[in-house]
Amino acid sequence: MKRFKITMAVVASAALLLSGCGGDPAGPRSDFDPNAPVTLDLAFWGNDTRAGFYQSAIAKFNEKYPNITVNSTFLAFPEFWEKRQIEAAGRDLPDVMQFDYAYLRQYSQNRLLLDLKPYLGKYIKTDGFTESTLGIGVVNGVTTALPVGTNAWAMFTNTALLGKSGGTPYAGGTSWDEYATWMGSVTKAGGGAVWGGTDPTGRIQNFEITLRANGKNLFDDAGAPQFTKAELTAFWSGGAQVRGAGATIPTKRLLEVAPKSGFGAGLTASELTWDNFGAGYAGDLGADASGLALAAPPVTKAGAKDLYLKPSMLHAIAANSEHPEAAALLVDFLVNSQEAGEVFGTNRGLPASSTHLAGVKLDPLSQKILDYETSIKDRLGQAPPVPVVGYGSIEEKFRQLGEELGLGTVTVEQAVDQFFSELDTILKK
Amino acid sequence: MAGYGFLAPWLVGFFGLTLGPMAVSLYLSFTRYDIFNPPEWIGFGNFVRLFTDDPVFLRSAKVTLQYVLIGTPVKLAAALAVAMLLNSITRGSGFFRSAFYTPSLIGASVSVAIVWRAMFAGDGPVDGSLRTLGIELGGWVGDVDLAIPMMIILVVWQFGAPMVIFLAGLKQVPAELYEAAEVDGAGPVHRFWKVTVPMLSPVIFFNLLLETIHAFQVFGSAFIISNGSGAPGGQLNFITLYLYKRGFADLQMGYAAAIAWVVLVVVAIIALIMFRTARSWVYYAGDQR
Repeated sequence: MKRFKITMAVVASAALLLSGCGGDPAGPRSDFDPNAPVTLDLAFWGNDTRAGFYQSAIAKFNEKYPNITVNSTFLAFPEFWEKRQIEAAGRDLPDVMQFDYAYLRQYSQNRLLLDLKPYLGKYIKTDGFTESTLGIGVVNGVTTALPVGTNAWAMFTNTALLGKSGGTPYAGGTSWDEYATWMGSVTKAGGGAVWGGTDPTGRIQNFEITLRANGKNLFDDAGAPQFTKAELTAFWSGGAQVRGAGATIPTKRLLEVAPKSGFGAGLTASELTWDNFGAGYAGDLGADASGLALAAPPVTKAGAKDLYLKPSMLHAIAANSEHPEAAALLVDFLVNSQEAGEVFGTNRGLPASSTHLAGVKLDPLSQKILDYETSIKDRLGQAPPVPVVGYGSIEEKFRQLGEELGLGTVTVEQAVDQFFSELDTILKK
Repeated sequence: MAGYGFLAPWLVGFFGLTLGPMAVSLYLSFTRYDIFNPPEWIGFGNFVRLFTDDPVFLRSAKVTLQYVLIGTPVKLAAALAVAMLLNSITRGSGFFRSAFYTPSLIGASVSVAIVWRAMFAGDGPVDGSLRTLGIELGGWVGDVDLAIPMMIILVVWQFGAPMVIFLAGLKQVPAELYEAAEVDGAGPVHRFWKVTVPMLSPVIFFNLLLETIHAFQVFGSAFIISNGSGAPGGQLNFITLYLYKRGFADLQMGYAAAIAWVVLVVVAIIALIMFRTARSWVYYAGDQR
């Protein structure tokens, strides 16, 4: 391991030196031959369901461009980013990547992503996008990514599971206390086989919406945290009460079914997450998606504008790609084409491009997501600033500490201290 | 001069791939370095943070030591016991030798880690069989107290490699020593402690040193079983895994390099202690003392 690390360090520094001499490519080549055989690497995060969708989409892409071979790989979200970081160090990123908003600033600022401007309009159609959706992929004036879709924070419930275990449906948009009480009742009815939900305090997004209910964000425009130790302590202490009452699934069970979530494994009746997770859940549960329903998350203050629409994911091209034109054609197909819309539905969020959306046959689940986003209109506020550099690590640290709180291996005070010390280090970086 | 010419390929490898990177890593351990921006010198900052402001590191060090200090002796004891059994049978020893050796060939693989995870999960075979015996543990994978024992069982299961070395050592012990001891009235226990162990002590020392260092390097199985997170409650967050996450997930390369150097120093100290104490318990036949 040690030797591996050292080797990596040398590879990284050598790559830095080499890339420093290279300079940036000056946009698309005029002699690009759209029929020349080319091989592209495509990386995305997701599960088997999404991998199946990508396979079908690539097959359709190849009907148009039989000369472009696409090798795709996928991983779960945290591992996906660990792998990208290593590749970024060696300037060896895959040609086309599914990209997350949380990492966009970091990768764009370090010039790891291709400036798409010369390709827009020529290889990538932009007619389907509104000005504001195109603006999502712009960092410091440079377009480095195109949004695939948008999503919002939501509550999924499994009505089929509730029906079987004798629980009542969740009303949506209640107070957090009422949600906890509801989870408790479902857990009780479930008799040890089904739980009401997962402790919501393990996810930073739930903390974020409680902050937003009070008119704050996690971070301000300058990247400074807008929350105090006292606020985080109060939030995590609230979680301890819910767990103490036995309303939520034990963390130990969650660890055993990982990488599936408790909800995906059919053990919990509700879960707070992004609203485009429905198709993934349907795949995990291996059941008809008709049992899945969406409800508004609990609200901290009645009338708060705590939710927001964010890009669920984007597509970017690596600056190190040797075939930027072909990569741009693939990105265009993935974000704009009706064919891709037919394949993916709302798996990657509600499509941002209107041509892409036109292809989406709204299956019952997609229709529910669309209806959900319409239903929360009054709760949608202004989106927070583009996430700070290192936000991915911050989110993961929050999740891990939530897990440890669930296991009882740290106290709330220790967890808060660890989180702030981590925050200091990351923001100083 | 011609000699150096012939040595050149090795020298290039040694300076370019071993010594050079080590020097760079030592330098990086005194910096803050995120891969994208040039390293920034912060003196002993990383080391101070490790020991005063990072409870996760201290816990990683603790669980790694637990794993090494319990896993290695148990593994060696199992290896020696089975080697002695195999040494005493004449028929089929070749088959058993291969059979016991196989786990150490595949034990570090990803597939075994996945199987291990499935076996020790809440509804897996291990838990199921224990339940029929009336022992209700409810899954090891997510259990804070059972995760390290699960890993120790995995490493002990791979006792084949030291076993083969022990077996070779046992074949070297002269039969006349046992005969002489037997004539003097020594029972099996006495023969083991007074003949086998002293005669085998160089092999025991070799295995102990190797397996201890090897145990510090545990990574793949812990990574797979905990889904890369070191869960439950950081019990599988062994020092190598923590180093990897700091370096490649958090991009704190300088900090990761500092961890690597702390591990190197700790392993070196342990090896030094072993070599020092070896003088008093390792017997080399033909040694003039």
